[in-house]
Amino acid sequence: MINSLKLTFRRLFRTGEHTTTRIISLIAGLAFGILLLSEVLYYYSFDSFYPDANRIYVVHENVRMDKSSDKMESYPRVSGAIAPGLKSEVPGIEAATRLNSIGTSVFYTEDKKSYEADFSLADECLFDVLPMPIISGNPKEILKKPMTCLVSTKVAKDIGGEVSGKIIELKKYPGKKLTIAGVFEELPENTNYKYDVLISMVSTSQFFSYDGTSNWMGNDRYYAAVKLAPGVDPKTLEHAVREMQVKHQDIEKMEQQMGGTVLKYSFIPIKKMYSEGAKDMILILTTIAFAVLFVSFMNYILLTLSALIKRAKSSAIHKACGAEARNLQQLIFSETFVLFFISLVAALILIWVIKPLAEAQVGHKLISVINPQVIWPLLSLMILLLALTSYLPGRFFSRIPVSSAFRNYNQKKNKWKLGLLSLQFAGASYILTILVVVSMQYNNLITADHGYNTEGIYYGETQGVEAGKISTLLNELRTVPGIEKVGLGHSLPIDGASGNGVFSSGREKELFNVADFYYIDENYLSILNIPVTEGESFSHGNSVVNDLLISKKGAEKLKVFNGWQNVVGEQVDISAHGISTIRGVFPDFIVKSITEPDLRPSVFYYYPAEKFEQIRADSPSFMFYVLIKTSKTAGSGMLKKITDIFNQFLPYRDALVKNLSIEQKAGYQSAQGFRNAMIAGNIVILLITVIGLLGYTSNEAARRCKELAIRRISGANLPDILRIFILDLEYVAIPAVLLGITGTWFTVSKWMQNFANKVPLHWGIFVGSSLFILLLVAFIAAVNYTRTANRNPVEALRYE
Amino acid sequence: MITLKGIYKYYDSKFQRTFVLKDIDLEISEGEFVTIMGPSGAGKSTLLNIIGMLDEPSEGEYHFLDQPAHQLSEKKKVEFHRNFVGFIFQAFHLIDEMTVYENIETPLIYKGVKSGIRKGMVAEMLDRFNIVAKKDLFPAQLSGGQQQLAGIARAVVGKPKLLLADEPTGNLHSGQGKQIMELLSQLNSEGITIIQVTHNEEFARFGKRIIRISDGLVLSDDIVSDTNEPN
Repeated sequence: MINSLKLTFRRLFRTGEHTTTRIISLIAGLAFGILLLSEVLYYYSFDSFYPDANRIYVVHENVRMDKSSDKMESYPRVSGAIAPGLKSEVPGIEAATRLNSIGTSVFYTEDKKSYEADFSLADECLFDVLPMPIISGNPKEILKKPMTCLVSTKVAKDIGGEVSGKIIELKKYPGKKLTIAGVFEELPENTNYKYDVLISMVSTSQFFSYDGTSNWMGNDRYYAAVKLAPGVDPKTLEHAVREMQVKHQDIEKMEQQMGGTVLKYSFIPIKKMYSEGAKDMILILTTIAFAVLFVSFMNYILLTLSALIKRAKSSAIHKACGAEARNLQQLIFSETFVLFFISLVAALILIWVIKPLAEAQVGHKLISVINPQVIWPLLSLMILLLALTSYLPGRFFSRIPVSSAFRNYNQKKNKWKLGLLSLQFAGASYILTILVVVSMQYNNLITADHGYNTEGIYYGETQGVEAGKISTLLNELRTVPGIEKVGLGHSLPIDGASGNGVFSSGREKELFNVADFYYIDENYLSILNIPVTEGESFSHGNSVVNDLLISKKGAEKLKVFNGWQNVVGEQVDISAHGISTIRGVFPDFIVKSITEPDLRPSVFYYYPAEKFEQIRADSPSFMFYVLIKTSKTAGSGMLKKITDIFNQFLPYRDALVKNLSIEQKAGYQSAQGFRNAMIAGNIVILLITVIGLLGYTSNEAARRCKELAIRRISGANLPDILRIFILDLEYVAIPAVLLGITGTWFTVSKWMQNFANKVPLHWGIFVGSSLFILLLVAFIAAVNYTRTANRNPVEALRYE
Repeated sequence: MITLKGIYKYYDSKFQRTFVLKDIDLEISEGEFVTIMGPSGAGKSTLLNIIGMLDEPSEGEYHFLDQPAHQLSEKKKVEFHRNFVGFIFQAFHLIDEMTVYENIETPLIYKGVKSGIRKGMVAEMLDRFNIVAKKDLFPAQLSGGQQQLAGIARAVVGKPKLLLADEPTGNLHSGQGKQIMELLSQLNSEGITIIQVTHNEEFARFGKRIIRISDGLVLSDDIVSDTNEPN
């Protein structure tokens, strides 16, 4: 073995071995393949770090929203009483817990320093189900005590020193002081439910106006997880869960009213939850990763076999010296191992170099993928690839017949080379066409009309601004040159909206559900350029608190349900608001994003600025935004100007002002990341294909140089020769490209199912991509064959 | 030692069968020095390859050391190569990326000779063929004669019973050729059976028996008389 390795190093950079080319090909393929596959495996690694993860399940609520449909929607959120109810009433459930997210918030310590963290309320059973190492404190006691919390090691480190006993205050909830009583080890990134600070569940009423911890129905915002006793199959729990529902939810009556199943609970393995939701992405990323690896390794094998033909005599010499087939295979294995190892190390270095770029695309730290669920499968794949790439050339090398090797083995047929090459062409055309479609779809997303304006619009959070200073803040902003309009709103179209039910008269039944944007002032819609097409928009003089604007789709539904000719002026009852008067109708716009559109009708309620101030005064945690429309001539620096003004009203000067246009585009980051992955993959595959083609044509030119010379002598000119040789290649390339684009058709058709707004799959895309590959093949072949064809034929014959 | 009975070698193409060897019957005893001569394409090298078990006859029987070589498994053939047969080539066929020392050592490695013993055996060969100073050089750094010396050293280091030399002097000038032939004679006198293929009449007479073949047929099989021996 050592001898083989020594020889490998000596042979590494000999001419004709294509060593550099082979290494580049492997590096490109390995770097990209490892990056994508580690991402896919990372999806499968979610929450597997918990001890007994196989016994942990997340409780899903399956609800039938629409009476006329049998389809049940599944959500990983339940009502507050479900988790403790399951523990107490369903045998086989060893432990159950629930978490209620407060979200990401800035918080302050007593020394006036600010930090940011993910906050969640949790009950005292959390660590029974989802255990994390505890650094200090008794989590059971802490999570039972009001206004005490546990912080992660990261938060503890950020704050510094001994954190136990320190008081923190959330920017979102001024005046609500929490005492840190313990520290737990920071959660890894691959978790479905992330938190940095755990607040005892008994503190719920301090953060929410409504405490639904004991609710059996409604207020379903709790992430519930259960740990089953060893050997318990979750399917066997169905009966006991149903019993619980009958006892506490009066489910039978509900089912009678709705005419069938209305609410069920299911247990989804915590380890599968993330990957189940990312199936399409997993399919696409895996396909691209294997396409890249496949093309890269085919190329490696192609070049290796080409190099081995030149070494056919060496195989014969070894055999004449007494080498067995396995000795020769060992020789090739050593060579492959060395090249593979060099390439793997270089690929890892390359990944490290592009780490910031890669992390920006995948949205998590690359270090997070270093866990057993990712490393072991990847390592196994690498070993398999090493075995395959060494086995095939090794087998070939050891089977070269000795007697013909001593003569001239070069003149053998090369159909296998063309076969390998055609696989590369298929891979290249496959991914190139995918890239074109993905890019077009991405551009379609970011340039699509969302139904509202984002250009020149900024928004700032008002958390931390005292109630009495809101109007001063608005007035200050209005005095800034370049600011055209300032308004207030509870939420933004890009954030999505909460759901509320529209009831029939007398609340007899829920007619449909709406995306509720809650409160806006009279300027909000005009800032976003959302027109009111029927009735009138909110105005200071003519509208009263809780007046309603409804989208066209909602108006149409109301007409159908109520038999109205016109909705304007009618009254409607919506949960959480009560009865309101409809003042106007606006066209439906894209709620949240085109990739995950909320297709429900939407509504806005009217609050004048004074009402926003009043509510803030009553409830400091009441949150809303200030929207600012700037003129087209406002110029740069507007963000800073607005932020500076906000900071004048914030005690910690930590204003958060954003540009709506930029944030909207950021919402498509995953699609952008996917497109960028495609571009990178495409560059890699094209690079590898070009390398392979260069290697192939060089070998072919050398192999057929005698034929080339004879053709020249016989009167063929350069175009004649190029035509013959290029056509030989194109006959292989054309079916391969057709195969590639057929694969693309199936892949993109599946991927496009994720989008409501699809770019048409025009045949021109497929023809264009195919032509590009065919022309690339012709170009590279022409360059290489021209060099050989231009040699003096006599020299070529003498050389031969 | 070697018995060939009715050996044929042919290649079938679409429309015809091309014969390389036809009905070869041959007996070679241990200790002989046989020269095979004939024009290009006569089948000399093919015959040598069949005797060396590098190629297989299409028909016929070949017995080597009383074993039916035409029926031997690949594994057994490798065993014969390791223990009984050495090859010398016209183009030397040293392994380019190995030094002279490593080239000579290669058959011993495959034979499974232990490192310590191997070193002694290679050193003996280097000394015997006067190439000690060249041991760390690569083939490209040697003259043709030196390369062939290294080639012979590699062929005989495993102490074979049979040495097959396919035009061993073909790429050498006459002085070097003669030196190589004298070396082969000496090896033969030490008991190694040698079969060589050559075009050179003078070098052919270093053998004790000359077999002439043409178009795959044995034309003559003559003992070289003492008076015909080269000076």
